[in-house]
Amino acid sequence: MSTRPMNAADRGAGPYLWRFSPLNRTLHALVIVSFLGLVMTGLPLKFAYAPWAHALVGLVGGVETAGIIHRICAVITFGYFLTHVGNLIYRLITSPNRKAIVWGPTSMTPQLKDLQDIVAMFKWFLGKGPRPRFERYSYMEKFDYWAVFWGVAIIGTSGLMLWFPAFFAKLLPGWAFNIATIIHSDEALLATAFIFTIHFFNVHFRPEKFPIDTVIFTGRATTGYMKEEHELEYDRAVADGTLQARVAPPASRAAYLWSVVLGFISATIGIILVILVIWALLH
Amino acid sequence: MLVRTLLFASLLCAPALAAQAHGGKAAAGAVECAKCHANRDFLIGKGPKPGEDSLLFVPPTILAGTAHDTLRCTSCHRGFEEGYPHRAGAPVVTPCQTCHEQEGRDWEASVHARNAESKGDAPTCVRCHGSHVIYPAKDPRSPIYRLNVAAKCGSCHGDPRIIGTYFATAAKEQGRIATTQYPKSVHGVAMTRDGLVVSATCSDCHRAHKILPADSTGSSVYRSTIPETCGACHSGLVRTFAASAHGTAYPNQPGMDSIQRPVCVDCHSAHGIARIDKPGWLSGVVGECGKCHEQLYETYFDTYHGKVTRLGFDVAAKCSDCHTAHDMRPPTDPQSSVSPAHLVATCGRCHAGANQNFIQYYAHGDPRQRLRYPRLYWPWLFMTTLLVGVMAFFGLHTALWVTRTAIDRRRGGEPGAGGLAGHGRPTGTGGTP
Repeated sequence: MSTRPMNAADRGAGPYLWRFSPLNRTLHALVIVSFLGLVMTGLPLKFAYAPWAHALVGLVGGVETAGIIHRICAVITFGYFLTHVGNLIYRLITSPNRKAIVWGPTSMTPQLKDLQDIVAMFKWFLGKGPRPRFERYSYMEKFDYWAVFWGVAIIGTSGLMLWFPAFFAKLLPGWAFNIATIIHSDEALLATAFIFTIHFFNVHFRPEKFPIDTVIFTGRATTGYMKEEHELEYDRAVADGTLQARVAPPASRAAYLWSVVLGFISATIGIILVILVIWALLH
Repeated sequence: MLVRTLLFASLLCAPALAAQAHGGKAAAGAVECAKCHANRDFLIGKGPKPGEDSLLFVPPTILAGTAHDTLRCTSCHRGFEEGYPHRAGAPVVTPCQTCHEQEGRDWEASVHARNAESKGDAPTCVRCHGSHVIYPAKDPRSPIYRLNVAAKCGSCHGDPRIIGTYFATAAKEQGRIATTQYPKSVHGVAMTRDGLVVSATCSDCHRAHKILPADSTGSSVYRSTIPETCGACHSGLVRTFAASAHGTAYPNQPGMDSIQRPVCVDCHSAHGIARIDKPGWLSGVVGECGKCHEQLYETYFDTYHGKVTRLGFDVAAKCSDCHTAHDMRPPTDPQSSVSPAHLVATCGRCHAGANQNFIQYYAHGDPRQRLRYPRLYWPWLFMTTLLVGVMAFFGLHTALWVTRTAIDRRRGGEPGAGGLAGHGRPTGTGGTP
């Protein structure tokens, strides 16, 4: 086996191409920080009976501090969510190509092709067909996106209810807080389990990408990578002559190192947390 | 030595030392006796056993300033009035209950007296009160002055040798707990550190003379008698408690006949009673409530209140915050803190602004009980299905992906497998048919 760069975003030939805007990279970094904070302070509460719960709470500075961190991270979450929605609305108003945002090959909106891709992917898994070629966002990335969108909306809403129960009791019956607790807790567990296993596998740990892919941090990946992962988008850029405009310089050494280090730290924390969840569920 | 003299005496006659204040000058009697008993030279060779001559040495002023200041030697040592030589066979000491009738009867009914019969040895009057030098209980010099009682009882009940020799096995542990925990308890700290004589000491709960083991129906610490015993001081609390669902005055609920109602010591312990604002104390009582209220205990720990409490946060609601500490009653009782009429106020103690909506919260809701909590069951079922469904789908997705890659890799990679340059597989248009 020939040597290969550790970072999946460096694999393959050709110059770097832009994939994510500075805003989206910043928002994703905020997602990572706030999500890790929320999970580290929320899991001990959900699994208060687990043998590690006290230790994890102690690690973040006690129950009260954990509650404060959880709320700070919640505010960050609302911040990135609203920033994204605001940016989306702004682009929908100002973009000359606004239709492409809501529909078509570069849109996040699920399309018929995504369904076909899922079917094709399973056929490929079973050796009954070729691996499907993806657009700008594969169905896995769209799922990630909408999972966060839906997750933030319902975990955020239920979280606010539990944060300000007396206020929400002016509008809602008390058992709504029981339901809010169920939703908040179970959806958060789903998010934790999904991000730290499925998302990590899809973007970092599957054999083509192991052990890390910094494209979301540096915003760029090699031409070879783009041909592999988002072939249809690459082909379109070649066809309409916009490929050259997407060529990016390599990331600065500092940005690159930070991306790798923070990526590994986040992944490690995530894996530890998911192990704790499994431990608690088996307990 | 004096103690041993009297112990010797008590073996001869009966547990005793007496006092009868029938006038006369103690000094007059003492002078007569002192002719011999204050003369060490005279006493040589006259002790009860060889080498114990000094047991007979009694200075003439020994009763001066004591509770028995006005007594003569012969008030207690009756039969010695005729002087020397003493009348043969006269009991050395007259029993104390000759004068102290009630105390004597109480002592005879006590476990101490029982031990005297069964073990041939037990604390008699003098072991606690002293023999010649007896001060009134209110005199700080007395071993049974309130501040000194615990040390006096502890001189036996904290002595491993005595515990091992005399106490039944179960009681050994109790003896150890009592003497190690009491000094750290609210009662003990108030007594020993703060010198608060109205705090409780051994004899307040166990009585001074009629001391009986806890399993004896006549005992002041017999289970059903405990509220009355604690109520001697904590009168208001015990009256509230008696009228509560746990109290004997409350009508028996269906199915409660076979259930033992809790008493003070179940939550507060007997000897290690702590301040309830001590960190973690109220959280600890949750487990006590849960011993009987199993389902409420479990559902409590499913709620935010229970979860943060379990993590050591003392501010969140614990059993007594909603149900009160002593006046707990079922929600159907209009006087209950958790009755519909009182819930707004009860929740409002922590949740400022709690209203009629707010109190519809299920403080012990269990989403798995479909019939009882349908409002919680369906959202719970939906969320659980979503969780399991998503993880199952993508779990399968991931597992198949790993398998596919492993198979492809073993075959050396073929077109259509996907993969990147340098990964041992062809680069480029993976997947093109």
